Amino acid sequence: MWKQRSPGQSSFNDYNTFPLPQTQRVQPSYAHGPTFHTQQPLVTGTSVLGIKFDKGVMIAADNLASYGSLARFRDIQRLHPLGQHTLIGVAGDMSDYQWLQKELDALLREEDALALTDSHPSLSPKNIYQLLSNLFYARRSKMNPVWNAVLVGGWDKVKAESFLAYVDLLGTTYTAPTLATGFGAHLAQPLLREAYEAKAGIDGTGPLLTQEEAEKVLEDCMKVLFYRDARSINKFQIATITAEGSTISDSKSADTYWAFAEGLRGYGAQTQ
Amino acid sequence: MALYSNAPASYADHTSAPIEHRFNPYSDNGGSILAIAGKDFSVIAGDTRQSEGYNIQTRYARKVWQLTDKAVLATNGFAADGNNFVKRVKQRLEWYEHAHHKPMGLKSIARMIQTMLYAKRFFPYYVYNILGGIEEDGSGAVYSFDPVGSYEREACRAAGAAQSLIQPFLDNQIYFKNQTPETGSEPFIPGNLPLSTVLSLVVDSFTSATERHIEVGDGMEIYVVMNKGRTTDDLLDKKKLGPGMEVEELGALGEGGGERTFLVRAALKRD
Amino acid sequence: MFMTRSEYDRGVNTFSPEGRLFQVEYAMEAIKLGSTTVGITTPHGVVLAVEKRVPSPLLESSSIEKIMEIDSHLGCAMSGLTADARTMVEHARVTSQMHNFTYDERIGVESCTQAVCDLALRFGESVEDDDALMSRPFGVALLIAGIDEKGPQLYHTDPSGTFVRYDAKAIGSGSDAAQQSLQDAFHKQMTLLEAHSLALKVLKQVMEEKLDENNVQLAQVTNEKGFEILGEKELKEVIETLAA
Repeated sequence: MWKQRSPGQSSFNDYNTFPLPQTQRVQPSYAHGPTFHTQQPLVTGTSVLGIKFDKGVMIAADNLASYGSLARFRDIQRLHPLGQHTLIGVAGDMSDYQWLQKELDALLREEDALALTDSHPSLSPKNIYQLLSNLFYARRSKMNPVWNAVLVGGWDKVKAESFLAYVDLLGTTYTAPTLATGFGAHLAQPLLREAYEAKAGIDGTGPLLTQEEAEKVLEDCMKVLFYRDARSINKFQIATITAEGSTISDSKSADTYWAFAEGLRGYGAQTQ
Repeated sequence: MALYSNAPASYADHTSAPIEHRFNPYSDNGGSILAIAGKDFSVIAGDTRQSEGYNIQTRYARKVWQLTDKAVLATNGFAADGNNFVKRVKQRLEWYEHAHHKPMGLKSIARMIQTMLYAKRFFPYYVYNILGGIEEDGSGAVYSFDPVGSYEREACRAAGAAQSLIQPFLDNQIYFKNQTPETGSEPFIPGNLPLSTVLSLVVDSFTSATERHIEVGDGMEIYVVMNKGRTTDDLLDKKKLGPGMEVEELGALGEGGGERTFLVRAALKRD
Repeated sequence: MFMTRSEYDRGVNTFSPEGRLFQVEYAMEAIKLGSTTVGITTPHGVVLAVEKRVPSPLLESSSIEKIMEIDSHLGCAMSGLTADARTMVEHARVTSQMHNFTYDERIGVESCTQAVCDLALRFGESVEDDDALMSRPFGVALLIAGIDEKGPQLYHTDPSGTFVRYDAKAIGSGSDAAQQSLQDAFHKQMTLLEAHSLALKVLKQVMEEKLDENNVQLAQVTNEKGFEILGEKELKEVIETLAA
């Protein structure tokens, strides 16, 4: 059984070790009444990163959906636009993510229909985030969590400012100018904060990164994650949301350097 | 059974309960809150860091909430529960105002919070609440709660990650524990300290907790609720506040009974 | 099909073409058959007085209960089908206790009155899962007296679920004459004792039998002692002042 590791106490599976290290066996339980059948993540996506820049916000996620340690689906997209000015990046269980996509798309289609007939205002990023928060918290309160960690990025047209926030399977919510889920919270978040604060200062009052700078930081972070996160792949996309709307880049990869591996000893099959 | 405790599931004795992997619906998001009552004011404060384990999730998350013109609530523990609990409390306050044509009084809010917490006795809100404000008789008040609704009115209370660091300090400074008045002088009476002293104690509590507790830091929000007609010089006079501290008056939420609420912000160390 | 007026009498919740609910109006008529009940507000408290009809000398008059306590700061007097009032008073008592439990304070007089009136229109054909409780409207009117932070207050409720606040109000069979007398004699700065004797004086005018301590009941809600039904001794004292 997967045990929670201290000190994280996180019920989100940081390292996406499911399901291979400990395959769940069917346990007869009829003698003790029904066992509570809680979901566990099976096919999972790893880190999602987000950062605000001077004209909007960027979200990055790689293209891998793992089945335990097996790199099962190597070309899935984990960035999903919701309307013109909102976009989510999703980590965790990919089937829950697909369910979420379906639900949210249906909702947005209804909203679009309303917008056709009158001056119905479109859902702002904040609206969509609030909806997701309520959904995640309600599901965790039913002990039937939506097993994901989600970054919501967007552009608030009314306030004319960018939006970046986090919500996860526990219903935990927060916002910050830089965000990262899972492994990224350990490896990328410090790098993102360092880059952000280098220009904006610790109070965020200085100038923000430019689009080019923000993209460079994200690519660097994706490279670091690829080097150290075993459940990542060197193939990722970056979404950019500005006042003009959201765009998702084609899949790209970071330039990596492995020459040093030749000299490594002590791992693998080599005998000396 | 100990011998077999690590046996593969297929060998497991089917008459013993199966080991369950169960989803844990709770988390601890660190941080600390505290409140101190004065004669005609109440101070409610919290830090703004939200963390999980060794990760800082954000350096600014709200833990202290203005509920009415004379009530401020601080929540600490599992942030998702805290936020949703506050949401429900605010909803109940609105319903009450519609039904009874008056804002809910502080002691009524306290009692309602008890009933709301106890209603979830068997799936609790993992939240420690501290309610501060002005009582019907104009006195400053602090009510503290446990997650399932036990509550009492006190002169001061600290809760959260650094409760064990701050409460003893408050016991000494507010309740004068382990202090003896000089012979011939007046006995100590808790809950009568001037606002400037209370503010210093709050700031010192949080700077100290920030030094010694990893889950406390980043920033601090101090709400000051004052009874109607009370002087504000001891708060608004720039020289009274420490460097880098900013005060802002929060306008009346309802019709305004004359009580005034101020928000003081200050930075804490981020390491 | 030709619609007769009685067509609209059948469904208790059916409007007539003139926009009336006949069953509710008939219920109001039932109150006019009831014994006279009077309430008077003063700055010091509210006074309630009822006539107890004693049709037989063998009837134990103390068993007639037309003034009831709702809470320590709330009381009510009734006229009409007094049995129906039990349901309402029970609801008021529960609401009042629940409020005290949940909010650690006494319920407001208006809020309690509102709670009682919420019951009034829960009659008729119930839909599944609906909590319509009764087949017909209540046949009783209440005078709810109480004190809260807004001071002493008197409310009148009727079978339509409407409630109105009064300085002084009379209901029941002699209500027309009694209300006129109240209007003539009432003034805002009345003392409690003046209100006691005015209430009984008004009852005396409309009662058929000679008023004595056995066929009236007097109660009050004051800041000091809350709700209380006046004892025989106090009642006699007030009656004596009337004679003089």
